[in-house]
Amino acid sequence: MEEDDNLPAADSALQRKHAAMIERLSNSHQSRLARKPNSESNSTFISTSSFLSRFSESKNSIESTLSRIRQTPDPHTNPTLKSELDNVSISIADLEKLVAENSFSLPSYEVRTCLKTITDLKQLVEHVTSEVIPRKKFSFKNKSTKKITTQNDTVSEVPNVESKDSVLRVLDSPGFRGKENEVLVKEFGRGNDEEIREFVLSELKGCDVRLMGSVRALFVHKLIDCKVYVGPVFGSVLIEEVTNCVFVMASHQIRIHQAKRCDFYLRVRSRPIIEDSDGVRFAPYCLKYEGIEKDLEEANLGEETGNWSNVDDFKWLRAVQSPNWSILPENERVGTVDISS
Amino acid sequence: MGLLSIIRKIKRKEKEMRILMVGLDNSGKTTIVLKINGEDTSVISPTLGFNIKTITYQKYTLNIWDVGGQKTIRSYWRNYFEQTDGLVWVVDSSDLRRLDDCRYELHNLLKEERLSGASLLIFANKQDIQGALSPDEIAKVLNLEAMDNSRHWRIVGCSAYTGDGLLEGFDWLVQDVASRIYMLD
Repeated sequence: MEEDDNLPAADSALQRKHAAMIERLSNSHQSRLARKPNSESNSTFISTSSFLSRFSESKNSIESTLSRIRQTPDPHTNPTLKSELDNVSISIADLEKLVAENSFSLPSYEVRTCLKTITDLKQLVEHVTSEVIPRKKFSFKNKSTKKITTQNDTVSEVPNVESKDSVLRVLDSPGFRGKENEVLVKEFGRGNDEEIREFVLSELKGCDVRLMGSVRALFVHKLIDCKVYVGPVFGSVLIEEVTNCVFVMASHQIRIHQAKRCDFYLRVRSRPIIEDSDGVRFAPYCLKYEGIEKDLEEANLGEETGNWSNVDDFKWLRAVQSPNWSILPENERVGTVDISS
Repeated sequence: MGLLSIIRKIKRKEKEMRILMVGLDNSGKTTIVLKINGEDTSVISPTLGFNIKTITYQKYTLNIWDVGGQKTIRSYWRNYFEQTDGLVWVVDSSDLRRLDDCRYELHNLLKEERLSGASLLIFANKQDIQGALSPDEIAKVLNLEAMDNSRHWRIVGCSAYTGDGLLEGFDWLVQDVASRIYMLD
């Protein structure tokens, strides 16, 4: 098997394996014979027919169980139905296993027929399940109670704007949401034991956002006419649906979706990407506040990687430059921005 | 799982498994693969296309297909479905807003017939982030209980950043796939 001088050893290993396989096969054959004692002379015929009778036996029992379940008068109030259905699925799985075990000795036609039968049974179970136990409609509502209790002991500045009825609840991550024409300032991890975690900027209009200190992940969603200045993000930034904005940010990963007419001043460890965006321009990071060098260093973002210009456009998978983004000309860049308060 | 694929696997000498990693963008698929392979995870660009990693795990050889999750390229996922033994769905547990998208894409994927025999491992990733939902909460939001009860599945909380939970998840997946495919051994 491996090398020439190992041949005898490998040979004997092979032989042992072979012998073991023969033994397994004959064992399973014996056990099949034992299950069906009224044997005839032709061995393949016996095993095939005994297998088929076993198969159809279990198939019939599954089908009769299913039809009984189906005729249960008031299925919605009967608690045992679910476990019965589970049992049916288990027997189908057993049946499938039986076919697999016997696949060596069966004619291929029988194997195909049996597999077809199993598929049909599975579909039937699914059908009956959906008939008897209607799927619970998904909703966020029953979950909210639990979240609220945990919310009390975490430090956050979430405005309680989400109503319980909103289908798509923007849940409880700390963040700035639903503001207009405001200056929003947040300092992370300064002089207290607040953990570095995720932060959300959502539905802001005409705002000036300043985030100082390190944050683990940043989600940006639906911003118009905003200026966003961010210290190091020790993880990833996800940006969606932004228009006419300026972003100054440093991060390990940056993904930009549906951005229109935005300028990004970035420092990134990997290649930033854009998708479904146009009119976006890129320039190097240019933020200053007291202690930013230390923050950047600690987040492994101390060095300029030059990746701010290595943009991948998922809507432009060609070698030539994408028309959706460009490098911001130097004379149009804002210069260093200092947000120390 | 088709019978043919069982037989094909038995005939093959090396015990190979094909694992498909999918999930929304920014969920940490590539980071998980590199972390479990002991590689540097500090510089990872969003995946444009796919990566393949062959990893020896226990006595098996895993061929891990890590496919990019950006919206534009999700429609290409189906090119990778054929012969998948194990499916890994990765969730960013801290991305609360997109959990709806996540559930939609997952259930869409599970309708696929070619994946109907594959064991499903759900990684509730980024558990190291303070605001992340727990695996139980993720299971509820993704409505995992409603899954077809012939499907073998499990949800495991993990952090690709610290490495917690990754081995637990892969141990289960490999064992589950092995017990189906190599049951004749």
